[in-house]
Amino acid sequence: MRRMAIVAGGLDVLRGVPRSHWTVMALVSLLCGIGIATLYSVEGGSFRPWAERHGLRFLAGLAGIMVMLAVPATAWLRVAAPAYLASLGLLMLVPVVGTEVLGARRWLDFGFGSFQPGELMKVALVMMLAAYYQWLPKERVGDAVWVAVPVLLIVIPAAFTVRQPDLGSAMLYAITGLGIMFMAGVPLVYFAASAVLAAAASPLIWSMLHGYQQRRIEIFLDPGSDPLGAGYHIQQSKIAFGAGGLSGTGYMKGTQSQLDFLPEKHTDFIFTMFAEEWGFAGAVVLLALQAALVLVLWRMMMSAETRFARLLIAGAALTIFLYAVVNAAMVTGLVPVVGVPMPFVSYGGTSMMSLMAALGLALSAAADRGSLGADGDRRRGLRPAF
Amino acid sequence: MRMTIRDEDDDDRRRFTRRALIAGGVQAAAFAAIAARVYYLQVVEGRRLATLANDNRMSERPILPKRGRILDRNGRVLAANIERFRVWVRPGDAARIRPALERIAQLLKLSEAEIDAIVAKAKVPARKRPVLVRAGVDFDAIAAIGLNAPELSGIEVDAVFDRTYAHGTATGHVVGHTGSVEQFALDDTALFRVPGARIGKTGVELGLDRDLRGQTGSTRVEVDARGDIVRVLGESDPVSGQDVTLTIDAPLQQRVLDLISGSERAAAVVIDVENGEVVAMASAPAYDPNLLTVNFDQPAFARLEADPHKPLINRAAAGLYPPGSTFKMVTALAALEAGVISTGERVSCRGAFHFAGETFRCWNRGGHGAVDLAEAIRKSCDVYFYDLAERLGVDRIAAMAKVLGLGQTYACGLGGQKDGLIPTTGWKRAVKGKGWLRGETILAGIGQGYVLATPLQLAVMTARLATGRVVVPTLVKVGRERMPAGPIFPPLQINPDGLDAVRRAMIGVVHAPDGTGGNAALDAGEVLIAGKTGTSQVWASGREAAPKEERYELRDHALFVSFFPATAPRYAVSLVVEHGGSGGQTAAPLVRDLARLIIQEPSLAANGVAEVIR
Repeated sequence: MRRMAIVAGGLDVLRGVPRSHWTVMALVSLLCGIGIATLYSVEGGSFRPWAERHGLRFLAGLAGIMVMLAVPATAWLRVAAPAYLASLGLLMLVPVVGTEVLGARRWLDFGFGSFQPGELMKVALVMMLAAYYQWLPKERVGDAVWVAVPVLLIVIPAAFTVRQPDLGSAMLYAITGLGIMFMAGVPLVYFAASAVLAAAASPLIWSMLHGYQQRRIEIFLDPGSDPLGAGYHIQQSKIAFGAGGLSGTGYMKGTQSQLDFLPEKHTDFIFTMFAEEWGFAGAVVLLALQAALVLVLWRMMMSAETRFARLLIAGAALTIFLYAVVNAAMVTGLVPVVGVPMPFVSYGGTSMMSLMAALGLALSAAADRGSLGADGDRRRGLRPAF
Repeated sequence: MRMTIRDEDDDDRRRFTRRALIAGGVQAAAFAAIAARVYYLQVVEGRRLATLANDNRMSERPILPKRGRILDRNGRVLAANIERFRVWVRPGDAARIRPALERIAQLLKLSEAEIDAIVAKAKVPARKRPVLVRAGVDFDAIAAIGLNAPELSGIEVDAVFDRTYAHGTATGHVVGHTGSVEQFALDDTALFRVPGARIGKTGVELGLDRDLRGQTGSTRVEVDARGDIVRVLGESDPVSGQDVTLTIDAPLQQRVLDLISGSERAAAVVIDVENGEVVAMASAPAYDPNLLTVNFDQPAFARLEADPHKPLINRAAAGLYPPGSTFKMVTALAALEAGVISTGERVSCRGAFHFAGETFRCWNRGGHGAVDLAEAIRKSCDVYFYDLAERLGVDRIAAMAKVLGLGQTYACGLGGQKDGLIPTTGWKRAVKGKGWLRGETILAGIGQGYVLATPLQLAVMTARLATGRVVVPTLVKVGRERMPAGPIFPPLQINPDGLDAVRRAMIGVVHAPDGTGGNAALDAGEVLIAGKTGTSQVWASGREAAPKEERYELRDHALFVSFFPATAPRYAVSLVVEHGGSGGQTAAPLVRDLARLIIQEPSLAANGVAEVIR
C-alpha cells in the first residue's frame, strides 16, 4: 500500500512537473550524450571503460532527480544542517584517513567505493545557505552578525579543501557561496569590503598555498617558463584547439588527443578533445548548451516562489556555470589549471553525482508549491531544523 | 502597516530581480568571453597552432647518406664505409625506460650499473635527445630488437657509417680522415644535425667533402606523445656521396713513403706536368687514419698528437719551409723579365755581398768569382742573387713567385693546404706594421727571410718552369668538374728564352761537374735530370751560414726540386728533408731514387717515360 502510494505520488509529481524541468533534463541529456560520444572517441572507438560507465551514471543521476522531485521541499530544508555537518565531518576526516591520488588527498575509501567529500560539500553548502536564508528574517539579512554566519559556513570547508590540496573546489565554494549571499540580498557594501579584504589578504593566501599551487599560478602567468613541465598541458591543450580550427578534424580523428599529446582528456581536458574533433562549431554548441542550461535555471529561479527554492536554484545554476566557465577557461589557457570538470561531459562519478544532486534539489524545490508556502507568508511554512 | 510590509516586499522583489539580472549578465558575459577565447584559438590563431600540432605529431627522422668512396688511380678502394649500429633510448621516466632496457639487457650485455646510469641520464626532464645505450651493436642484435619493437617503447636503433682505410698509412696523409661534426655550417644543417654524422677533417676527405658527403634522407613519421612511431608518412631516400678517384696509386705511395722514411721528417711530391696530376705525395712520419675513425684509439691518438715529429701533419701540403736556393729560379726569371740582367752578364762573387753597412755571405766563403746566370744557378752562388734581388726590389720577385704558383693553395681536392708566404712591401706594412727594409729583399732573393713554401708549391713551381705553362695540380682523376684545370694549361707570361736558360742551368746543376746537385744524376743511359738544390736555414737571420749544428732542431732543411726527363719534361718533383742538412748531400740522392722509382713504375708506364729513356 505504502509503496504503491509512493509510486503513485512519484507519477503524480511527474504529471505536475513544469515544462522548464523537462527542458533542463533535455539539456543535461544532450550534454551527457556529448560526454559519452567523446569518451567513446577517447578510447579510439570503445565504450569501455569510460563511455559506458558515464552513460550508466547519467541514467542513475536522472533516476535520482526523478526520486528527488517526489520529495517535498520541507524535507530538504530539514536535512540541510545535518547534511552540512556530516559533509564537514567527512571533509575533516580526509587528512586523517583519506586516500592519496595524484598527490592530493581528496578521497575517502569505503571499501565498496570511494568518493570525494569535497564534492558532497558543494551540494551541502548550497543547501545550508539556502536554508539559512529561508530561516533568517529578511530584516536581518544585512546585519553584520548575520552576514558573518554564512561567511563562516563558507570559509570553514574552503579552508579544509585548500589544504587537501584542492584549490579549485575551495574557490568554487567561495564563489558559489558569495553568489548565493548576493542573491539573498546581502548589502553590496559587504561585497565591496570583502573584495578589499581579499586583495589585502592575498599575500597571506599565497603563503598558505602549496608549492605546486604557487608554481601553477606562476606558470599560468608566464607559460613559456616551463614548456615541457607544468606548462606543457596548457600548451598542448591550446595546440589541440588550434588543430581543430573552424570545423574540426572530424570525429575520432583528433590527432593531438588520439596521439596522447593531450593529458587527462577523459576528465578535465575533454572539452579540448571535443573542440579538436568538432572545431569551433562544436565548441560553440557545447558552450551554448551549458549557457542554455544556466539560463533555464535562472529563469526558473526568478519565478520560484520561496526564498529556499530561489537560492537552491541559484546555487545549482552557479555551480554549473562556474564548472563550465572555469573548465573552459582553464583548458583554453585563461586561468591556471585547477582541476574542474566540464559539467555532465567530463568523466567522473563524484562530480556527476554532486551536479545531479544539486540539480535535483533545485528542481525539487522549484516544483514544490505546497509544503513551504510562499515567501511573503513565511509563518505558514516550516522552519529548518537548526 | 500592511502597506509597509507590502512595500518592503516589493523592494525585496525588485532588489532580487535586479541582482538576478546583474548576476545573469555576468554569467552571459563570462560565456561570451569563453566563446571569444575559443574563437581566437581555433579561428584566429588556428593556422599557427595547427602547425604546432603537426610539429607535435610529425617527426623527421634523418637517414644518413653513405659517404662516397675514395679510390686510387687504378681503382683500389682507399676509403670505404662500414655500417655501425647503435641503440638509443628516448628520454622519459624510469618506470617506462627501465623495463625496456631490461628486456634488451641480455642482448646488449648491459650490466645493472649501466642500466642505472642510462636511466639516470634519460629521466632528466629537460632532456630532449635520446641517450646512447650501446654503439657498435652487431646486426643480429639489431634484428632482434626490431622484431620486439612493439614491446620496446622508447628504444630506437640507427646506423652510422664509419670510415675504413684499406691502405692505412701509405695513403693516410693524402686521403685524410673523417670525424664528428663540431662546428655547424648554416647550409648543411640537415646533415650536421644528425647525431653520428661524419665529415671530412683532413686531406681529400676534407677537400672533397661536399662531393663525398651526399644528401641526408629522412623518414617522415607520425609519433604519439611518447615519441613512439604510429605510422610512416613518407620517406625520402638519402643520396649517397660521389665516389672519387684520385691520381695517386696506393703501392707507389707506399714505395715513395718508404723512400723518404729513412729521414725523420720529410716530404715529397711528384706531379705529372702534362695534366697536373699529383702522382705521389708523401709525408714522413706517416700515421694510420684508421686509428682516428673505425679503430678509434684514444691513447694512440694522444700519442700521435704529442709526437714532436707531428705525424698528423701532411708536410707535403702543410709543411712550411724557407725554399732557400730552390727559390733562385724565381729571382733569376724576375730579373730577366725586368731586364735588370742578361743571361750572359757576370756578377763578381768574393764570398760576401755588402749593402748598407751589412754583410751578406755566400755559402762559399771563398767566393765564386765572376759568374753568369747558368753558373750562378749551377753553383748556387748566393752573391749573384743578392745582387739581382737588390736590383729588383722585393715586389718584382714576389710577382714572379706568384706567376710560378707560390704563395697560394690549389683547388686540387686536398684539404688543409697552407698558403706559404711570399712577402711584399704591402704585406709587411699590413701584417707587421713596419716598412720594408731593403736588406730583407736581399734575403728574399735566395728564398730566405720571410719566404715560406710547401713542397707541393715547390713542385708546382718546378712543373711550371719545366713546361712554361700554368700547371695546376690536381689529386682527382675523374669527376673533376670542379677542378679549374683543363687538359692543357695556358702558357706562362714569361719570355721563353729566359725559361730555357733557367732550364738548361738546372740540367747543369745535376749533370755538370761543378753542379751542386750531382747526387741526383741517374746512371749513364738513363734519363737526364734537371734540378736545383736548396739548403735553407732554420734561423731566418741568414747573415751567417749556420754552423753544422749538433742540435737536430737547428739543422738546415735539405731541399731539392727537379723535373725529368730534362729534355722532354714529364714529371716535376720536390723533396724536403726537414733538418736534413745540405740539399745536395741529403735531398739530391733521394730525388735520384725517387725519379728512378717513377720511371720504372709499371702503373705509370702508359705515360711514355720509358720510351723517352730508351
